[in-house]
Amino acid sequence: MIRVSGLRKTYGDFAAVVGSSFEVETGEIFGVVGPNGAGKTTTLKMLAGLIEPTAGSAEVAGFDAAEPAMRHRLGFLPEESPLYEDMTPASYLTFFADLYDVPRSVAKDRIAETLDRLDLEYRDRRIGDMSKGMKRKVAIARSLINDPDVLIYDEPASGLDPLTTNSVLEFTRELRADEKTVVFSAHNLYHVESVCDRIIIMNEGQIIARGTVEEIREEYGETTYHVFSDTGLPQTEPTSDGRHRAIVDAMDEVEGLQDAAEAAGGSVVDIRTNEPSLEALFLDLTGRQMAGPRTAAATAGNGESSVEESVEESVEESVEPEEPQ
Amino acid sequence: MSVGTRFRRIWRIARWEVSLGSTSLDRQTLFAAVALLVLAGGIAGAGLVVGTEGLAPNQDIYRIGVDENSPYYDVVERHAALAPREPDREKLETGDLDLIVSPPTSGSGTVSLTLGGQRGDGPVDAGGVSPSTVSVAYAPTEKGTAALTAFRSAVQGYNDRLMAVEPNETAAYPVNVALRYRSQSTSLQSSRFADDNGTATGGDGSSGGESADGTTDSSGTTGDTGEQSIDDGQQDDRSSVGDGSGSTDQREDPELGDKDDSLLSGLLGGSSSQGSPAEISPPFPFGSLILAFVFLVPMNFIIQAYGGTILNERVNRRGELLLVAPIERLDIVAGKTLPYLLAAIVAISGISYGVGGGVLAVAAVLPIALAFLASTFVGAMFARSFKELTFVTVTVSVFLTTYVFIPAIFTNVTPIALISPLTLVVMSLQGEAVGLGGYVFATAPFYLGSAILFLLGIGVYREEDMFTQKPVPLKFLDAIDARLRGPKSVAVASALKIPFVFIGELLAIAALYVLPIEITVPLILVVIAAIEEVAKSIHIYAGIESDRFDRSTKTALLLGSLSGLGFFVGEKFTVIAQVVSLQDLILGQTALMPSGVTPSTGVALFFAPLVLHTVTAAISALGAKRNFRWYLVAMVVATAVHAAYNFQVVSAYV
Repeated sequence: MIRVSGLRKTYGDFAAVVGSSFEVETGEIFGVVGPNGAGKTTTLKMLAGLIEPTAGSAEVAGFDAAEPAMRHRLGFLPEESPLYEDMTPASYLTFFADLYDVPRSVAKDRIAETLDRLDLEYRDRRIGDMSKGMKRKVAIARSLINDPDVLIYDEPASGLDPLTTNSVLEFTRELRADEKTVVFSAHNLYHVESVCDRIIIMNEGQIIARGTVEEIREEYGETTYHVFSDTGLPQTEPTSDGRHRAIVDAMDEVEGLQDAAEAAGGSVVDIRTNEPSLEALFLDLTGRQMAGPRTAAATAGNGESSVEESVEESVEESVEPEEPQ
Repeated sequence: MSVGTRFRRIWRIARWEVSLGSTSLDRQTLFAAVALLVLAGGIAGAGLVVGTEGLAPNQDIYRIGVDENSPYYDVVERHAALAPREPDREKLETGDLDLIVSPPTSGSGTVSLTLGGQRGDGPVDAGGVSPSTVSVAYAPTEKGTAALTAFRSAVQGYNDRLMAVEPNETAAYPVNVALRYRSQSTSLQSSRFADDNGTATGGDGSSGGESADGTTDSSGTTGDTGEQSIDDGQQDDRSSVGDGSGSTDQREDPELGDKDDSLLSGLLGGSSSQGSPAEISPPFPFGSLILAFVFLVPMNFIIQAYGGTILNERVNRRGELLLVAPIERLDIVAGKTLPYLLAAIVAISGISYGVGGGVLAVAAVLPIALAFLASTFVGAMFARSFKELTFVTVTVSVFLTTYVFIPAIFTNVTPIALISPLTLVVMSLQGEAVGLGGYVFATAPFYLGSAILFLLGIGVYREEDMFTQKPVPLKFLDAIDARLRGPKSVAVASALKIPFVFIGELLAIAALYVLPIEITVPLILVVIAAIEEVAKSIHIYAGIESDRFDRSTKTALLLGSLSGLGFFVGEKFTVIAQVVSLQDLILGQTALMPSGVTPSTGVALFFAPLVLHTVTAAISALGAKRNFRWYLVAMVVATAVHAAYNFQVVSAYV
């Protein structure tokens, strides 16, 4: 459904995305993970045809991403999704249905059905009077108004309270059942892990890991085994509960410990597998120090900042109060 | 995509834009706005309905007790400030009446007036109108006294009108004043004003003829007698203003007099020389210019709303959702612009109908409206905040208003005035014919300029530029760069700048026109050179700065040559100036096309600019390939070379 090949975007000397290539299958929920400035949003916007790639190609639903016809098959939810606050959800969604050439009768039913699924209340209220979570639901409903095959969601649960976040994530999972292809980016790795079939991890504009979470864990993570015995061995250390523990990273070593314990007249009483979390993998792969120099280089390179960056900064610096749960 | 589908989408966005505009206002604000519009429309409508009486802020302010059968009833009823009431003396005492008109009596608080010839001590038979003397009793208050003054003025005006229609002029005007006009050294017009008593204020007599202050009187009982010479003067108290040309005297040119009445009666009041400010009739062409200025007023409001809606899409990133919809950028901009363009057309048409401007006035002002919208659109695409947008819209308004308004003042003075479409409006109001060439000359720069500005703005109507905060100059460079592709596009960009060069140069001519010719010509040659060098090189600088073109000397020379070539081709379109005889003016020759040369020299002169433009553009490009500072230095050098060429051509052939 989506084919990306050698996608590259540069702004002067600054490379936002460097030669990304990946494919997304129909009905798949595909996660794009990375720290701030990794190139996630730029990649998603190139897929949506909003940003023209410097090089490479992006094909969505059989169309080049730059073709307007592709947009009939696409639903896009930007990270910041400002709405027309003086309108009601119905009038807002009806306008976009018109733009997508959705017949009025179809649009009416679709709007009602989608808002029902999203459990949106107070539909006659001005959007400006709605809570942040309700606004996000209206924005999600807008992304579905043309019944698209491909959905690109940039941080769909960003800034929402846990209840609304779960609702949005659950809705995203339901889209898989509708055979929708979803490309999904998020900072919260738990969200990605719980929703996505496959992910890519980006850093400094490059894809540094790809696959299912399990595959990435296997490839990049280190599974360790905590072996507890009731007798002391050279490889073990005593624990506070009177047992002895050894940490090894291979099953052969576990078996060796079992044999050694039995030889010493004891036995292995417990074996625990310790798998790294996606967050640990992410931190390990990307490194916290990487984002700094690149952003500074970008700032020094062209001396400009974007509205988007300003918004991100303001969001980070000023923590908005969460809605009551 | 079919044209129909495209138009439907544009229409949807336009309708949405209207609904957004209406829903973004709360009901109270909307009600207040509608009320204000109704009020303004009502006043204008009343002005049109009232006609010759005009709009009077003191409408019916004085209550006059007068019998319906009294000949003074008509006087009171016709005067804007007077309202006829039943003549009840008790009401005068209670304050319900300000003045009572009754048969002659004597006593304190009364005065006698005579209808049918009020001047002097006794009644005068004015052309067969039977004198009718009455006593007037007025309330012993300030308002009563003011009512008496107004009533006296009304009677005087009534009598004047009676005598004006009197077929026996000797009876009406025993004093004969002959006017003799003398030619003046300049074509500038002058005016003389007269007060209500017929006192003609002579001007500076040195400019031609004798100067004489003459007090004339319709009854002939006061004032000088005998024949007087009043240079380009004013004659009597019926006509408030005269004109030095002699052809605009209202009595001598009834057609113009009628036209003037029709023009001014609607919005400025009637032709009466007395009463409220609404009844003042300014001299032509100022009256028409005031009306022409009315065309520009609504545009200032429209661009505020238009600029706001465009900037809102950017600041709040709302435009992103439209950009991701299956619709072209051009259609989005067209849809968002359409309501404001239609509003401008409606306003222009309404004003045109009100002043009797006709289709030509609408066709002349339409490109101005487009220029307002196009400039505002580009400004809103460049501005980073509403504060910057306000600066942009004010600048746009001041510049365009100056450009279109000031030249129109010189409608009857110099053909340069035709650079402004408003001149077409004035000419239309004057009843002068406007040819197609004149229309094209005045409006083509506006149409082309507007189209290019819209294209520039649409070039940056995309995610990568819309939501990026950069200083306006950098945005401007981005917008130019967005329209560049390869080196050939540099030539096209130079050619497309011709309308702006044309506007800039003509504006410079108009602005410097007032200076002595020995200063104007050299100055304008330098200014024109600078304008053209900027136009030829700014897009080269933009392209190099965005890394679209490399910084090699070879590339700079290539780009400079192509830019010079493109500019040369575009410049030849200025030949249109000859259609309207602008070349008759020495400044026009200087700026546009030297004349009076031999064919061979003409050919050389025809192609010499090609060499000039390529050389100077290459100089600028060589500077641009290094950095902005070097670009400025190179620009100065290129301008100096260009100006030297201009001096050479002008001194040799003009």
